[in-house]
Order: sequence, then C-alpha cells, then structure tokens
Amino acid sequence: MASVAGRKYAADERRRDSDHESFLVHRRMRWFKIAVAISIIAILGYALADVKPRPNGGSWYGYILGTIGALLIVWLSLLGIRKRAMTAGRWSLKAWTSAHVYLGLSLIVIATLHTGFQFGWNVHTLAYGLMLLVIFSGIYGIVVYSMLPTSLSNNRREMTKREMVESLAAIDRQLEHAAQPLGREEADLVIAALEQDPFGYGVWTRLSGHYRNSRTEAAIAAFSDVRNKSEAEDRVRALLGKRIAQLQQIRRHLRLKAMLEVWLYIHVPATIALLGALTAHIVSVFYYW
Amino acid sequence: MTFRVRTIDQTAAGREIVREREIAKDTITIGRAAENDIPLPDLAIEQRHVSVSQTPSGQLKVEALGTLGFTVDGRTTKSATLSPREGSELALGSYRLEFTSASDGAIAVTVRSAEGHDDHAKDALRGFALASVLPGKRAVAWAALAVIVIAFLAVPIYTHLTRTPAKPSIDQRGQVLMDASWSPGPLSAVHHSLEKNCEACHVKAFVAVRDNACLACHKDIGDHAAHARLIAARGPMSWGAGFQRAVANVFNKPGPGACTDCHIEHQGSGPMPSTRQEFCADCHGTLDQRLKDTTIGDASDFGKVHPEFAALIDTAPNQAKPVRVSLAAHPKQWDGLRFPHDIHLDPRGGVARMAMTLGKAGGYGAPLECGNCHRPTADGVRFLPVNMERDCEACHSLVYDKVGPIYRTLRHGDIAQMQADLVASDRSGHAPIVTGRRRPGEYAPGGLYNSNFAGGSGVVGRAMSPDGVCGECHFATRTGGRLGVMPVIQRSRFFAHGWFSHADHKQQACASCHAAKASKSSTDLLLPGIGKCRECHLGEDSKKAKVPSGCVMCHSYHPREGAPATAELVAMREGE
Repeated sequence: MASVAGRKYAADERRRDSDHESFLVHRRMRWFKIAVAISIIAILGYALADVKPRPNGGSWYGYILGTIGALLIVWLSLLGIRKRAMTAGRWSLKAWTSAHVYLGLSLIVIATLHTGFQFGWNVHTLAYGLMLLVIFSGIYGIVVYSMLPTSLSNNRREMTKREMVESLAAIDRQLEHAAQPLGREEADLVIAALEQDPFGYGVWTRLSGHYRNSRTEAAIAAFSDVRNKSEAEDRVRALLGKRIAQLQQIRRHLRLKAMLEVWLYIHVPATIALLGALTAHIVSVFYYW
Repeated sequence: MTFRVRTIDQTAAGREIVREREIAKDTITIGRAAENDIPLPDLAIEQRHVSVSQTPSGQLKVEALGTLGFTVDGRTTKSATLSPREGSELALGSYRLEFTSASDGAIAVTVRSAEGHDDHAKDALRGFALASVLPGKRAVAWAALAVIVIAFLAVPIYTHLTRTPAKPSIDQRGQVLMDASWSPGPLSAVHHSLEKNCEACHVKAFVAVRDNACLACHKDIGDHAAHARLIAARGPMSWGAGFQRAVANVFNKPGPGACTDCHIEHQGSGPMPSTRQEFCADCHGTLDQRLKDTTIGDASDFGKVHPEFAALIDTAPNQAKPVRVSLAAHPKQWDGLRFPHDIHLDPRGGVARMAMTLGKAGGYGAPLECGNCHRPTADGVRFLPVNMERDCEACHSLVYDKVGPIYRTLRHGDIAQMQADLVASDRSGHAPIVTGRRRPGEYAPGGLYNSNFAGGSGVVGRAMSPDGVCGECHFATRTGGRLGVMPVIQRSRFFAHGWFSHADHKQQACASCHAAKASKSSTDLLLPGIGKCRECHLGEDSKKAKVPSGCVMCHSYHPREGAPATAELVAMREGE
C-alpha cells in the first residue's frame, strides 16, 4: 500500500513540478531536441542534395524546404489563436508554446537554406526579412521575459502600480498646499511640475529612461539655487525631492514594462505582415510559373 | 501639544464647509467611533484605527491600533513616521488627512473626503502600459497586411490581367506594374533587356514559360536532331528524375526537352549557367542501346565515358571527301606536301643555323619555332594556313637567275609561268646561276640561296623531280599533258562536332600537345588524343580534374558554326 501512496506522491510531485516548469525546459526540452534534429537534417540535406546550377528556392530541395517552412509559419502564427485557450495535458498550451519557440528557431535554418542564399529587392526577400524580424523579436521577448521580471519586482518595493500613482498624487496635493505662500515665479515652477503628465512620454523616452525637459527636475534645480530659503521654500524643495524619487520609480517601472512589452508590438504585426508577404511570395511564384 | 483639526466637507452642490477645532493632547486617535479625537464615518475604517503622537524630535509617529493598516503618501503600512515640516498625507478609507506644522508650533491636520478621485487613478494605471503610447498591434498589423497585399499581389495581378497583348520585345518595358518585386533574381546578361518585361516570357498566369516564348526571339535556332529521333534517344529516367518529372507534370511544367529544362534563368546577372552534362548524358550515355544506327559513340562524362576523338582528314590523294577517322587508329593523313617537322624544329640542324644566319632582320635569328610558320587567326581560336611566300621562301628560295645585280625569282603557285621563265633562262646566252653542280659559296646548299634544279630531263623536269626546287615539297602530277602539283590541303579545323579554341590554351606550349619535333613526315597527324586532354579536363563533377568540364565546354546542343546543321528548327516542333 505504501508503494501506491508513494507512487501517488511521486505523480503529484511531477505534476506540481510541471506546473512550475518553464516552457523553455518543458518535457526535458523535447521540442528543443526536435528542432535541433530538424535543423541538422535540413543542413545535411542541403549539403548532400545535388542541386544544379546552384542551390535555389526553385529546386526540388528548395520546394521541400519551402513547403515545410510555409506550413511551419502558418502553424506558428496559430499560437495567437491557441493561446486564448489555456489547457493542460498532452497538447497543453505550455507544450504548444515550447514547440512554438523551438520550431520557430529552427525556421531560421529551414528558411535560410530555402533561399539558397540568394537575396534581392523582391517580395521573396521581403518575406524572409519579415520572418527574421518576427523570430528575432521573439528571441528578444524570451530573453526579457526571463531576465526583467526580477528587476521589475525589485523596483516595485512592494508597491502596486496604483500605490505608485496614489503616492505621486498625495505628494502633488501636499506640494500644491505647501506652495501657497510662494511668489509668482516659484509658484509657476511648481505648477509646471505638477501639470506634467508622468505618462505623457513616447516609447523611446520610456525605453531609454532619459527624460528630457522634466519640469520636476528643473524646479528642484531652481529651488536648490535659492539661498536662505524660507520655510515654505524649504518644504516645497523637500516635497519636490520626494516627487522626483517617486517619479523615478515610476519611470524605471515604465522602462522595464516597455522593454517587456515592446517586442510584441513588432512580433505580432510583423507576423501578420509576414503571412501577407508569404502569400504574395507563393502566389507570385506560381503566377509567373 | 496642539492639533488644529480642519475638516473640509463638500455639500451636494460642491460648496465646501470648513470646520476648525483644536485638540490639546500629545496623542490623538482616529477611527470610526465617535469617542475618537478625529471621528471618520467610513465603514472601511476601524472603530479605533490609528494613533498619532509626537516624538521628541518633532516628528509624528502614526501607528495602526487594529489589524488594518493605513496609507502614507500612497503606500500602505502599519507604522510610519511623518514629518510635519515637510508635510505628509495619511489616507484612511475614503478620507485623507494632511499633517503640516503651523507657524505657532501647532500641528495642522486637514481632513478631506476623497470621493470621486478613482477615475483619475484608473486612467493613470492605463498609462503604465505601452499600449497607451503606441498604435494598437491590430491596427498596425492590418495596415502592413493591406500594404503588402496591394503592392505585391493586387497591383501586379490586376495590371497583368488587364494589359493589352503585345509581342515580346527587348525594346519595351512591360505593362505589368510592381512585378519586378516578383523577380527571384537578375536575368543572365543576354536577357538583361527583358528585366523590366516579365510578361514577355511569363505570358499566361499560372502557366510555366513555354518554348514559344523563347522562339519568339530565337527564331533561327536549330534543333539537335529530328524530333522523332530525340524522343527515341531519350533514356529511362532514374527514380528521382521520374518523380520530379511527375511532380512537374502535376504543376503543368513543360518538358521533357523544353527550353527551360536546360536553360535556367534568374540565377544572377552574368553569363547564363551552362547546361549540365546530365542533360546530354540522359540520351548519349547509352545512346547505342536505343538508336541502333547511330555512328557516334556513347558519352556521359568526359573523364569516364567518351569516345576517342575522330578527325576529319584526307587519307589518300584525290579523295572525294574528307573522312572522320578515330585517332585511336593512329591514322596517316594526306596533305599533298612533303614536310618533315623534325628537321625544321631541330635546334642544332641546318635549318636552325640558316634561321640564325638570316638574323632578326630577316624575321628569324633563332632556331625555328612553331610560331615562325603557324600564325593564329585574329580570334586566336585556330591557325592561318602556312603561306609559302611568307613562311618558307626566306630559305626555300626560288631564285633561278641573276642579271647584273638583280636576282630573278620564280613565281610560286603558277606552273605555266615557272615553265616559261625557266625555259627562257635556259635559252639565254649567259650561264645560269644554277648548274646542278655543287660548289661552295652563297648559292651552294646551306647557303643563302639554294634552288636545286638538278636531275631529270631539262631544267623544268629537274625542278619538278623529288629533289628539284618544286618537287622538294610538292608531288608532281600531269593531267591531260599539263604539268601540275597535287593540291596542298591545310585543314584549319579537324573536329566537326567538337569545339577547340587555341586561344583558351595560350598558356600551354605547342609541344605539350603536338609532337612535332619527332615527326618525320607531314602525313603524321599531330593531333593529341583524348588522353592528352584528360590530363586537365575531366567530367563536370570530377573532383580530381584541373578543369572540370561539362559537355557544353566543347559541344553545342544547337548546331553551330561549321557543324552539320540539322535543317529542322526548334520552331517546327511547336507546329507538330
């Protein structure tokens, strides 16, 4: 009986392990091995296939690689639909994602061999270029997903996004109150800082983390220059310091978040564009057969 | 220690009601219960929620009294120290309490209800996502898809379908727009002018390029053989080739035997890739099995299966037509000339000495080399016929008389004139310079001028005898009583079906292929056999070859210059 219980425990352990297992190492990297095998077979075939006058997408081997590549691309892009249904088991979403990643990587080999290393300013190379864009944005996505969440979590310091916003709002309210005794010029500095939307920056600023024209920083610089600060000025200066600290946390969060999300803004539209270019590639070949 | 509590309420109309009171305590409590110093009627707040006390340093210590925490500057905590100098905000439920130090040392506490601020926070939360600053993925995807499908599919297909049919021309641009984007690679140099006229070849949609498209321009191209023989000659396909053919048939590819089978385009600018030997070997590898009457040997690979060369030569005098004879039989040719190469090329012989005596000014100055007599054609492919006056006469003098300082010379190639000149010189009073008697001096054999008129009957007969000035090189004949010499045959081309260019072999010494130095007679055919060629040239796929050589290096599928052209044109096949 003990062995039955033991087996059940072991099975549960496995399930629990698999629940926390990354799609990258799913099933002892089964899809990685399959993808490597496919790539090696494709390379060996390319070396051995007697294709004259030169390797070309229009040779018999080229057609085989092209067919495999096209089917792979269509299947890989179906993840966009498949991911909406999270299931477990043999055809689990995790298995599907693992296959998506590794088969997608093997597509670099298959499609490059399909080109026969012939490139030009045409729809065929456009499709190839879009495919590489999709694959490399995907590689970037995997890298940032495995590296950045820790930084994101460290930057939060146990604050939720809402708390960050509310903290900033609280500081702003105090600033507004504290700035009441100030003169016109100084009050204008505070108003300018308060009016600036911390989220009103484009994707490049978010990604780079270099916020030019930050009025809060300008106000801090201005207040730091004032000698013999009045009590009110002192308070405003201190609150501005708190504000910039809070802003910087938000900016770091924005930066990490942008780095985590930006690849999908390339990966997904480029996939759709690739499907269009792939269609044009195949139709054009047969149209001018 | 005084807390000055300022409570700000809002009426329904938005008007603010401000109440102020002072609490003189060191520690105040805040909660829902009425006995608190600052009671806040909100169910989210505990009965006794927090206590606020002043520390010796003037800071305010806020501590949760129950299990629930509170929010300071947006952060939830259970214990916090506030600085009333800088100002701090405490949030409890829907209330916000601001602590500041007043000028009289009291602590000002402003209490406000914070209803209706949630929407702003929600908007701000959305700002965290990249979606707030980038166009949506879906919109970008659709836009990119639309651009690609319109530019690379719709435009070319529409303009192709609606074009007005035109004869293919290398002078005109095609009417189809954007189809340059479909080109998988540049056309070869000869078809470069068609680069912008795709529909010249790609006439019908989804129909592979047909022979008719090629023949529209290549009108006069000759076919390899009669169509029936081409079909009969075609060998059995390998499994792979058969499968490829079957797939090609499914996709409506023309062939076998279509132009595009051998001539593959879009492989890059430059010369068109030459046709691979397998296309020839298909039929010629085992041709004798299918064409029983063929006279040509099987050939599938120059290095492995190729017959010995057959040279087109005359083998006997007065032959009606030259015949092709395999070099394997070491045939002797008849060229109507007595000419020993060995004597002329011997570096220590009399000829060499003579050439040195003639000196540079005479065009020699060193022992004879091949190039002294054999001069290449302008294209360097072959050699011009040897010319007696230019190449021989410097030594083989036809001088027969001297009148004063003038030497009289026979005219080469005109026998009647020669007869007349010699007879006339015989009749003249003075002694001819040539008497047949050997004597030292410049007119003696080996001297500058040496015409041997000795032997035979009379001076003409002596000239024509094998030792005479004419018979030394020529064979005398007599046709209808007229004296003559056998015609000299100087062949510029020996291989009718193959192509050989001397220009391509300039780096090689003549003697590396032609064994002229050992040839005692011009009946020796000094052509190298296939073995000599194979020292460098082996089949197309050979790894050992210095020059891997496919069939088309020497042969042409379509009849070309000098080859016995089959009259049948490829164009005729289309009409069958």
